[in-house]
Amino acid sequence: MAGSNEINLNECKMVVPLNTWVLISNFKLAYNILRRPDGTFNRHLAEFLDRKVPANANPVDGVFSFDVLIDRGTGLLIRIYRPATGEEPQLNIVDLEKPVTAEVVPVIIFFHGGSFAHSSANSTIYDYLCRILVGTCKAVVVSVNYRRAPENRYPCAYDDGWTVLKWVNSRSWLQSRKDSKVHIYLAGDSSGGNIAHHVALKAVESGIGIMGNILLNPMFGGQERTESEKRLDGKYFVTLRDRDWYWRAFLPEGSDRDHPACNPFGPNGISLEGVKFPKSLVVVAGFDLVQDWQLAYVEGLKKAGQEVKLLYMEQATIGFYLLPNNDHFHVVMDEISNFVRSDC
Amino acid sequence: MVLYDDSATLAGSCSGSSSSFSSKPPPMQQQQDIDDLLAGAGYKVRSSELRKVAHRLERLETAMVNSPADFSQLASDTIHYNPSDLASWVDSLLSEFAEPPTCPSEFIMDPVTNQTVANDVWTTTNPNMPQVHHNISYEQQSLNNQLTVVTAMEEDSGIRLVHMLMTCAECVQRGDFSLATSFLKDMQGLLTRVNTVCGIGKVAGHFIDALSRRIFQGIGGGSINGGSAFENEILYHHFYEACPYLKFAHFTANQAILEAFDGHDCVHVVDFNLMHGLQWPALIQALALRPGGPPLLRLTGIGPPSPDGRDSLREIGLRLAELARSVNVRFAFRGVAASRLEDVKPWMLQVNPKESVAVNSIMQLHRLLGSDSNLNSPIETVLSWIRSLNPKIMTVVEQEANHNQPGFLDRFTEALHYYSTMFDSLEACTVEPDKTLAEIYIQREITNVVSCEGSARVERHEPLGKWRTRLSGAGFRPSHLGSNAYKQASMLLTLFSAEGYSVEENEGCLTLGWHSRPLIAASAWQAVSHAPAALDTHRPVVSGACDRNFSSTHPPTALASLLFLKRNDEEEICFESGEKGTPGLDWPYPNKEREMGKNAASQHVHVSISPHLSTPLALPYNIFIRDGHFILT
Repeated sequence: MAGSNEINLNECKMVVPLNTWVLISNFKLAYNILRRPDGTFNRHLAEFLDRKVPANANPVDGVFSFDVLIDRGTGLLIRIYRPATGEEPQLNIVDLEKPVTAEVVPVIIFFHGGSFAHSSANSTIYDYLCRILVGTCKAVVVSVNYRRAPENRYPCAYDDGWTVLKWVNSRSWLQSRKDSKVHIYLAGDSSGGNIAHHVALKAVESGIGIMGNILLNPMFGGQERTESEKRLDGKYFVTLRDRDWYWRAFLPEGSDRDHPACNPFGPNGISLEGVKFPKSLVVVAGFDLVQDWQLAYVEGLKKAGQEVKLLYMEQATIGFYLLPNNDHFHVVMDEISNFVRSDC
Repeated sequence: MVLYDDSATLAGSCSGSSSSFSSKPPPMQQQQDIDDLLAGAGYKVRSSELRKVAHRLERLETAMVNSPADFSQLASDTIHYNPSDLASWVDSLLSEFAEPPTCPSEFIMDPVTNQTVANDVWTTTNPNMPQVHHNISYEQQSLNNQLTVVTAMEEDSGIRLVHMLMTCAECVQRGDFSLATSFLKDMQGLLTRVNTVCGIGKVAGHFIDALSRRIFQGIGGGSINGGSAFENEILYHHFYEACPYLKFAHFTANQAILEAFDGHDCVHVVDFNLMHGLQWPALIQALALRPGGPPLLRLTGIGPPSPDGRDSLREIGLRLAELARSVNVRFAFRGVAASRLEDVKPWMLQVNPKESVAVNSIMQLHRLLGSDSNLNSPIETVLSWIRSLNPKIMTVVEQEANHNQPGFLDRFTEALHYYSTMFDSLEACTVEPDKTLAEIYIQREITNVVSCEGSARVERHEPLGKWRTRLSGAGFRPSHLGSNAYKQASMLLTLFSAEGYSVEENEGCLTLGWHSRPLIAASAWQAVSHAPAALDTHRPVVSGACDRNFSSTHPPTALASLLFLKRNDEEEICFESGEKGTPGLDWPYPNKEREMGKNAASQHVHVSISPHLSTPLALPYNIFIRDGHFILT
């Protein structure tokens, strides 16, 4: 196998800048160490290695953040990011929950990636991404520190997302002046994108209105091996084997990858026809081996008559949005901003 | 195929902490060379080293592919340090392999020149890319007013209370005491309608009290700072029991000390605040169990002088000696009584050049910080003499908070958040009187931070970033705490504490906090090597009397000294002075089992004595103990 790996390493080097390659390769290496063949996870080492950053109620580059403990029982924490209004030089702690002032303020509930097992809301890479989102979208961002696999399988992450959605929806200080409602968007990358879809489903069932879904390289899959999976296996940082590991860690024991959590438009999925599902922006990276599943997801939405925009970034690998050093990053941020601000 | 010989690169490596003696570019330059974007992701890598790091990652990947199970096992079992220093982390993983795998793809044949060239095909960043302004240094952020807030859902009256507290504090900062007073009255009223059993209501009450004190009693501290040492010890003990902060501090420091003492047979721990010596039984037991047998352990415990003729230092020392005896660890204890750490002089510690020293400071260094960065602040003096002891390790645990900011309102705001998080974490404790007394312990800190100024304000907490700068500047380099210490601390927390506490790794240091807010930071340091500084050699002659129990009385003019007597077989005996009013010193009683011998009266011993007087004298001396007197010649 060594021969094919030589080519692999060279190919992915050619499509990403050096520092991105170092960052993602570092994750790849670390994650390999953390996943055990028996399906358990070296959580202590994972937390030790993960780079984290505390919240900061003092604005940095026009954004401040603070954490809220939503549920003491499960330890469910969220990190809220807000744009600084620039009026006061020093932010008062009371201003943390000061009502939003604009006519329409998008509130983006963000679910970080990590294949359901890695990262946290306070991981440095995701703290950075959320701050960017606040800046480009002029939005409030609520990042969810959901429970992770394999210690907490399906549906824990979805339940946590749902808890946060209800909390956000009931905050009067997040209501847009125009209609005294909270304008909620669900967003996420990788497993976070998957969570966003399923929380939106639950919202629709319960009558909470979601303005839109933003899915960045969402994590979907299925029993079948698709063409892209076979073609791209191991070539751009990700292998089928690790994808399988993460599904086995998240899905109920004994399930296969056609479980609706993994494959929402598969044999066990539910139809979205006639459902008032939010409009979706789905970003697919051309070098992501699960793109066939992501594209199938987009097709599934279309077939059910749902509004969906696909952004296919040909030369992008997974994690392209983690560092602002490539065109894809800026294109995608602009699209997300338009998607969100078109309702303002 | 060319074998890539890495040895040259490694030898010349300036990366991270692996090569402390290589010449490094000056700090400013180093900082500027750090890759911006990776720094924003939490990793510090020099741009000039990116390629090297990338190649090493490739080699590790190859190793992984070739034998995945072995690799994972190895990497999982190894101890990891400071993941932010990516270059070092990658190097340390590579070094786990006896024969580092080479990576053929690193080099390719250039078809034109037929020479091997580095395979360096990474795309370059588009120079026309709009620069995203990026705050590269979170460390910098913490130095510039980081304010971390973790809240739980609060009722409206709680929020109003906080609003009033902030406004009142603002009035105090402006000097508008009459308006502040009226706010105080309003807040007292509001308190009656707010749940003061938990949450913001509880901590608000303490802050209201502290503000009152500041306005009505002035900033001199008064009775709070005059709280007796005895009281403080009781409160401390209950704080120790009620929540894991001190246990974490002790545990982490002991880990580092244990590792530093590995292979050393004569070790000396200097504890900057002995209290009940709660930290040391675990270390003594760990040393007893170490492979190869325990070392000779000396412990010097510093603590405030006891009133009323009690000698708490000695009592603790005896108890620890008892424990050490029971596990067959040769042990000697000395107490050094000092009301302030800056009154301690290095010669009082009687450090033997042959022994390995650990200096242990649990929440003591911040007390040495002045309000202004004046030249002769005690912290610099103390750090300097610590360094002169050439310790094998210095363990430092400090509150992770910015409570030494010059502006009152900033301090007040930070403290309000810090302590409400700490109180929140205490909610989980249900054991009494631990919880109530722990709260009083914390309340005293709050009062000091809020209502005192100048020398009365001793709780001058500073965050890890600032301590790093300070300690590096004083000639120390970090000794990173590893994934093993992290894991054990996490596991102990899971077993013995309520949910919600979390340990985090912060560039070689460990923090313990409540959910996402670190509250206490533990770090370890080594003195940057140089020729060991000469110990203080000013040693005037002293003579005095001592009774059968060797408690001596000194002439008032001669300040007490520490006597360290050795017999020929190197056994150590300590003598005690019962001198009252002896500033700064206390001597433990000799171990009753250790007799001086029949010829005690005419024993020749070597001593070094250095009282406060500055008349220099040479070493060594002879001391005679005769009929209850000791005489130096």
